[in-house]
Amino acid sequence: MTRYTRINETLVQADLNGSEELYAKKGSMLAYTGDVQFQGAFLAGGSIQTAAMRQVTNEGLQLMKAHGRGSVLYGYHGLLVNIIPLGGERLYVESDYVLAFDHQIRAGTEFLGNQGGVGGMVRGAMAGQGLFTTTLDGYGDVVILSSGDLIELQVDASRPVFVDPQAYVGHKGHLTTQIHTDVSWKTFVGQSSGESFQFKFTGQGTVYVQADER
Amino acid sequence: MTILNVNTLPVNDNINPYAFSVDVVKDYIVRKGKMIAYYGNLRFEALGSNIIDMIVANSFNAPAYGGDYIVVTGRGKLVVGDNGNHINSYDLENANMTIKAANLLAYEPTLTCEECVTPGYVTLLGTGKMLASSNGMVHFMEPPVRVDPDALLGWADCPTPSFHHDYAYVRNALSLGASMMGLSTSGEEKQINFTGQGTVIIQSSEVGLKGSGLLQEILNDMNHLQHTEMLTLKSILEQRLNQNR
Repeated sequence: MTRYTRINETLVQADLNGSEELYAKKGSMLAYTGDVQFQGAFLAGGSIQTAAMRQVTNEGLQLMKAHGRGSVLYGYHGLLVNIIPLGGERLYVESDYVLAFDHQIRAGTEFLGNQGGVGGMVRGAMAGQGLFTTTLDGYGDVVILSSGDLIELQVDASRPVFVDPQAYVGHKGHLTTQIHTDVSWKTFVGQSSGESFQFKFTGQGTVYVQADER
Repeated sequence: MTILNVNTLPVNDNINPYAFSVDVVKDYIVRKGKMIAYYGNLRFEALGSNIIDMIVANSFNAPAYGGDYIVVTGRGKLVVGDNGNHINSYDLENANMTIKAANLLAYEPTLTCEECVTPGYVTLLGTGKMLASSNGMVHFMEPPVRVDPDALLGWADCPTPSFHHDYAYVRNALSLGASMMGLSTSGEEKQINFTGQGTVIIQSSEVGLKGSGLLQEILNDMNHLQHTEMLTLKSILEQRLNQNR
């Protein structure tokens, strides 16, 4: 497993011992020492189908593969780095916020939110705003970016959480996502509350949000 | 990193410098679109519906900014953020605090919000909590002080401020034809002048709000424009858009 060390808020170091490989966001490599090779990675652990899906759904993870022996420093646009360990569970995360992950982890794409009904209607209203999300599966560490400190919110049976789609970064655990809406007649006469729909997470798990509505 | 839930979220306090947890027990007035997440049973209502009007009848008195705020009703924990800007809370006690309208994030309806005579600012009167965002940390100063208009966040208990211009600027402005040539300015020729007793609140940056904040500020200021001025603005925008094409 690649060892990641947080050098400071916005900088992470990945140590490669020769047998390890990792995928990282294109353009995020800042410096490296040792004998490390970099190459473009289109598949990133998935099949051609999942890679094609990523392009179609705009969850286009542009990744570089690093392998060899040495240390690589990663950082991106001054965003904060957060290391999230995965122990076999699935992490859902917006592709923009994926900085690096081990090669044993598989990347895929999944639809977030319920289909049809009001959800389907609202989908049009939020075009381009991550209703599809990237999934990362397996064992190892994932480094994700956030604008401002990442806030980790717990969800259990008695405590669903509602999240602004624009502040949503990712989630983990056995969670069901629904689009929650309080669209009322006032919205249609132009007096919208500006918070007309949210993601509603129920079940057992953790939701990651950031203090930035993009 | 600690995992937060409805019980471990701070009560009316910052989660980090950029996010604030509001304990909603009664109603709260919050800027549109600044909700990040919430637990509990909360509703978001636009100002202007009958029930809501009764709640906020005495606490919102700034029609120019009416479209910017919503009323949160119900019970729960509400997390607010503002494009990664710092968030500070202020506990007002029978106070009189003026703040840049674009930076006012939320306040308890026990306070009354009124439009300030200085364009782009609102004044909050009474007792209660309010939240404001700032670009960088805030700094408090006492008059007499002169402040860059962009760095000024607000002031409390001060007499109304005035604009102070550099002598050279005044001379240029008064001399005939100078305005046609375009005044050569340093960008520091106009300050807001505070005198008397009170507190002045400064943000540690003069770039104003980043991201959508600037657009919001421009849109707020547009409320003060006359029809002919809007037409001028329209032609300037069209000209700029054509240039960039």
